[in-house]
Amino acid sequence: MDLSMLKEYLPFLIPLVILQFALSITALIHVLRHPHYRFGNKVMWVLVVMFIHFVGPILYFALGKGED
Amino acid sequence: MGILEIKQLYKRFGHHEVLKGLDMDVPEHSIFGFVGQNGAGKTTTMKIILGLLKADSGSVTVCGEKVTYGETKTNRNIGFVPDVPEFYGYMNPMEYLKLCGEITGLPKNKIKSRSEELLELVGLKDEKRKIGQFSRGMKQRLGIAQALLNEPKLLICDEPTSALDPIGRKEILDILLAAKGKTTIVFSTHILSDVERICDHIAVLHDGKLALCGTLSEIKKRHRHNGFILEFENEKDAFLFENAEELKQPSISLSRDGTTVRVFLTDRNMDGHFLLSVLSQKRLVPLKFEVMEPTLETLFVEVVR
Amino acid sequence: MRGYLVFLKKEIFEYTKTYKLLIMLVVFAIFGITNPLIAKLLPEILESLATDGVIITLPDPTAYDAWEQFFKNATQMGLIVTVIIFSGVLSSELSKGTLINLLTKGLSRTAVILSKYTCMVLVWTASIALCFGLTYGYTVYLFPKDETSNLLFSVFCLWLFGLFLLAVLIFSATLTKSNYGCLLITFVAVVACMIMDIIPAMHRYNPISLATDNMGLIMNSIEVSSLYSAILISCLLSLIFVSLSVTIFRRKQL
Repeated sequence: MDLSMLKEYLPFLIPLVILQFALSITALIHVLRHPHYRFGNKVMWVLVVMFIHFVGPILYFALGKGED
Repeated sequence: MGILEIKQLYKRFGHHEVLKGLDMDVPEHSIFGFVGQNGAGKTTTMKIILGLLKADSGSVTVCGEKVTYGETKTNRNIGFVPDVPEFYGYMNPMEYLKLCGEITGLPKNKIKSRSEELLELVGLKDEKRKIGQFSRGMKQRLGIAQALLNEPKLLICDEPTSALDPIGRKEILDILLAAKGKTTIVFSTHILSDVERICDHIAVLHDGKLALCGTLSEIKKRHRHNGFILEFENEKDAFLFENAEELKQPSISLSRDGTTVRVFLTDRNMDGHFLLSVLSQKRLVPLKFEVMEPTLETLFVEVVR
Repeated sequence: MRGYLVFLKKEIFEYTKTYKLLIMLVVFAIFGITNPLIAKLLPEILESLATDGVIITLPDPTAYDAWEQFFKNATQMGLIVTVIIFSGVLSSELSKGTLINLLTKGLSRTAVILSKYTCMVLVWTASIALCFGLTYGYTVYLFPKDETSNLLFSVFCLWLFGLFLLAVLIFSATLTKSNYGCLLITFVAVVACMIMDIIPAMHRYNPISLATDNMGLIMNSIEVSSLYSAILISCLLSLIFVSLSVTIFRRKQL
């Protein structure tokens, strides 16, 4: 990909990157502050939430998050 | 006229008949202990009172108003504490009480002052954590607070103490005692010491009916005559008395512990005179002849047997 | 009425606090952004994948491709995520017993069902609106010259299908105790609609047309008026399912 193409897609990339970051960080804070999960452990969820883009945090909130 | 009246209540689940014509009358401003074994039908009765379960027949009146299944009109006079209170884990106590207050329709400023007052009563005033992180005892205390929110005339607690440690139990009992003046309290339990500690009225549910009902002192008086403790000078006398021919009857149970003999007469026609006559026949003079004050436990075991 | 509003407020609070609203919005926002992007990039990706000797020639992408992505994602992944998120709408409260306490305080059971349905509809509406808005903006940006017809009507149909699906879902929730049971019944209902769609004569009246005819509407190959019956039927069925849920829930022993 050359620079002009990157420039063309910047309006897409910026919001997607922001969304990904917002999601990851919200999930990360939740993982660290609520150490009870339906399954798995803290290390696993931190990795999932940080490194699996989009799907990781959603998986955590939908399936991994323990009862409050 | 009682604040809660139950007449000829019947309820069956499949083939299992839980309530077989229950009659109960709870007088106003009492702490009413509703005792029964596990599975005797205490929770079922309470759910019927709250209109959460449908009775097969019979009637329940709260403050003179008839309870109908599925409707919640009579519930405005009732505060209910479930056996395992569950609240929305994502709320803090204040938010939860606000929700309850809004559902009941209390005015806004009242909700706030009343919530603060009640959280103080149950010792959760400065608790800012989410309910999801509460211990069993804290949830139980919050349960009482939410039940008292609308100043109910009748407070119903389903086994409020059974899952708690001794300290948690004492806290709950103290809270109930503190609430006594303002409301009538019905609480079910199978822990008899709790009943003896705070209740003035007691009802024992057994086999779908009330086996025993009245004030604690009344009941104790009614059942006083059949237990005796005799203390002798030495073990020989105690042994002689224990093995007297006259006492070898199925309606008499004896137990000896050193110089002390305990006698229970299960035949209603027998009383202390009979034991005195046995003593004089055997020419035995006990050091002590005492009518046993029945404990709730012995009474309970007796009626449930 | 008061119970309805108070409980609705509690429901919205719950979706915020349990991150369900966040998940819905983020999922639909991601779809919203990626729809036009994928439409734009797909030909280039395919060409770069082509090995020597095989020449793939694809027409230049248009706004139609972006909307095709939109309707494909929204009707498949979008609706699946929605149904999964909402599957515990009643079962979570009933199994934990959180509802009993409020019912004993005078909250009516009708209010519970109606406010739960309303809240699901609100969340669905916000999500699909966000997705639509993003796709629309980026499509105009990428394909400024392309025109589409009946776009709003087509999205309205999809939105209405969501309402129908949520009515089926809350009806299923009153029938079962677990969220899996709820998912299963909803799934069976959708499959039933799909099977009925095999009969061409039924298509006009089948609610599922609202989620399958969208591209046809935009390309003008399907008449707007041909969907009127399906719209009417979907509205009626939604009303019936919600009323049935209320009736069943009122009789349910808790």
